[in-house]
Amino acid sequence: MTVAPPEDKEATGGRPVAPSGWLGWATSTDHKRIGLLTVATSLVLLLLMGVLALLMRGQLAQPDEHFLDPLTYNQVFTIHGSGMIYMVMTPFAIGMGVYLVPLQIGAPGIAAPRLTLLGYWLYVLGAVMMLSGFATPNGAHADGWFSYPPMADKEHSPSIGSDLWIGGVMLATTGVIIMGWAVLWTVLRRRARGMTMLRLPVFCWSMIATCLMVIGAFPALLAALTLLAVGRADASVFASNVWNIGYQHLFWFYGHPVVYVMFFPFLAAVAEVLAVFSGRRFFGYKGTALSLLVFAAISMSVWGHHMFATGQATNDYYSLTSIALLVPAGVEYFGMVGTVLGGRLRFPVPMLFALAFIPQFLIGGLTGIMIGTPVIDYHVTDSYFIVAHLHYVLFAGSAFGLFAAVYYWFPKVTGVMLGERLGRLHFWLLVIGTNLTFLPMFALGYLGMPRRVATYATFDGFAWLNLLASIGAGVLALAMTAFTVNVLWTLRKAALGRCRPAGDNPWDAYTLEWATTSPPPRLNFAPGRPVPPVTSFAPLLDLRQREGGTPAAKEASGS
Amino acid sequence: MVQRHVFGSVFALESAIAGFVFLVVLALLGHALLRRRAARGTPVTGQPERPTLEKYYVGVLTAFAVFLVAWTAWQNHREHRPPRSTPVTVDVTGFQWCWKFSYPQSPVKRSVTGTCRGRDLPTLVVPAGRPVRLRLTAKDVIHSLWIPDLRYKMDAFPDHVNTFTLTLDHEGRWRGRCAEFCGERHYAMDFWIKAVPPDEYDRFLHGQPLAGAAA
Repeated sequence: MTVAPPEDKEATGGRPVAPSGWLGWATSTDHKRIGLLTVATSLVLLLLMGVLALLMRGQLAQPDEHFLDPLTYNQVFTIHGSGMIYMVMTPFAIGMGVYLVPLQIGAPGIAAPRLTLLGYWLYVLGAVMMLSGFATPNGAHADGWFSYPPMADKEHSPSIGSDLWIGGVMLATTGVIIMGWAVLWTVLRRRARGMTMLRLPVFCWSMIATCLMVIGAFPALLAALTLLAVGRADASVFASNVWNIGYQHLFWFYGHPVVYVMFFPFLAAVAEVLAVFSGRRFFGYKGTALSLLVFAAISMSVWGHHMFATGQATNDYYSLTSIALLVPAGVEYFGMVGTVLGGRLRFPVPMLFALAFIPQFLIGGLTGIMIGTPVIDYHVTDSYFIVAHLHYVLFAGSAFGLFAAVYYWFPKVTGVMLGERLGRLHFWLLVIGTNLTFLPMFALGYLGMPRRVATYATFDGFAWLNLLASIGAGVLALAMTAFTVNVLWTLRKAALGRCRPAGDNPWDAYTLEWATTSPPPRLNFAPGRPVPPVTSFAPLLDLRQREGGTPAAKEASGS
Repeated sequence: MVQRHVFGSVFALESAIAGFVFLVVLALLGHALLRRRAARGTPVTGQPERPTLEKYYVGVLTAFAVFLVAWTAWQNHREHRPPRSTPVTVDVTGFQWCWKFSYPQSPVKRSVTGTCRGRDLPTLVVPAGRPVRLRLTAKDVIHSLWIPDLRYKMDAFPDHVNTFTLTLDHEGRWRGRCAEFCGERHYAMDFWIKAVPPDEYDRFLHGQPLAGAAA
């Protein structure tokens, strides 16, 4: 150790130099590469699941259509739902944590990097396995993302696609659990000097709550799927009601917390974006951090609200816990709206998505309280009302947070900005498409259209609302095309060196990842650019205020 | 049709509250968008936290949640109160992919089923104005009996019987559906529920065809 190698001294640690090229990516223990791979994989799958959604909206655009036969349609909606939940939104949420958490807490890497890499590959393997069902003779799994027995047992779903689905979902979920452990461990044990728990960025708090739910709830899915696998091997299992209803309890013990796993990281991304483009620190920080923990805790006790109509759940209790969620949710809105109200607003693309998140997610949240009421749920459960509700939560809400995050952190990750004009086009098309697609579905459900129907009759009277929804889906396709073109074009231009470098902190943001270079070096903070002093949850804002260089200096500094 | 009435009042109140909350948030957001633009030279104002305000706010939210839980639970119990008079019983069996309605009180053990293909939908015949207890079960996989106009559904499980009581106030015919995904022809698993005068119902139980339509 007398002569320091010219570079990557810490990376190799005396061992052989890490492979480069694609093998370097595939075997990297750099949390940024693993995080980026996870996020990129889920974005590719997002486009694929969007194509499946277009097929469904094509089939449902008109009554009595024969564009897809019912068996195909059932595969398409099953893989769309399973894919979006197990393979897109959940991995993207955790992948963001893998990338951002070590940077935001001033750590040189993630805890358990090799396990994190294993988690990523389990996820990829799971996704490929699930999708490979389409290549089998009877096609992919066709029992919905929930796959209740006895419908999903061997007798009623003999296809090998179902076995592949069980295996794929188990692998991907195991991978996500591993990554969740690594992120939680990192944020609890790898914080830089001065980074106390109450100086963690809101995003890191959201990852703590998220990973606690991953660890607490996701094993229940593995248990449910194990039960399903046993029942597929031994037909007598699901002849008994106790295992049928038992499966539902196990499944929803996972199935409700996962909704918040797919929500908190995106909510927190929106919170960071709102604060930065309002020119002030996030309003009500402590309340929001606490509300995330309370939210996560209560989320473990609400699962039975998915089972109000089973006649085998204690409806009053689950209604109580579900409606109680409006308190922490209300606190989060207090923070978001309060931030904007006292701010000095700028409107770059990430801010547009973050602002749209507020009212759109609210529609999902308010209808969520309604369907947490048993008397209302008896009518609307398993109808298009629920489809509308869940898409307002996950698409009009979480996906808008996802895009806010992509536009916001893209310059940090790649060193260049995404195109502004295509970004705005993407945003407006997405707002129009989202509301045109999902708003009519509330009415459809109320009027009596059940979920998961391959077609409907002319005299049902659902035709024009379905047509509106299908037109909206077409607009969504245009929006996603604009996004894809924007990303690919920007990356191509960057590779050719024709992009202006974005700089280290193009948005005047507050958290530590913006104190290092774009993209960050292998160990996140180089000796020449050490971790700045951490004095609050917005350390870079503190720094600027001490120097008195920005308009934000007028704001009273909180600690 | 107590389910429909209870649903109507709860849905109306919750929609009104939801609409109000949505408009308040929208108004606050709109205010910020108009008045807080950086382009207008607005300075950043406000404190980083308002703990006292937040505590009152949480208090209001909690009180509202308590009210909502208690009131809707009461409505739920009102909806499931036992009927005043002895109900007639119908055994409902869901199967892939249609329904069977059996009348245990019928002297001829009347039972109705169909194929749920084309116009061949089975009709669940009940007396108007009298409580009807449905005993739901399934032969193969889980189904769910949904009568949208009644604003009510309940799942039908194999190896398990679920029960609920409904009363149709007047004569008429309504559409019923399967709401739980049950495979290939889930979309087609519709039926009719028809409320007839009590004397016609008695004749129906004795095996005579219904007056009027062949439905």
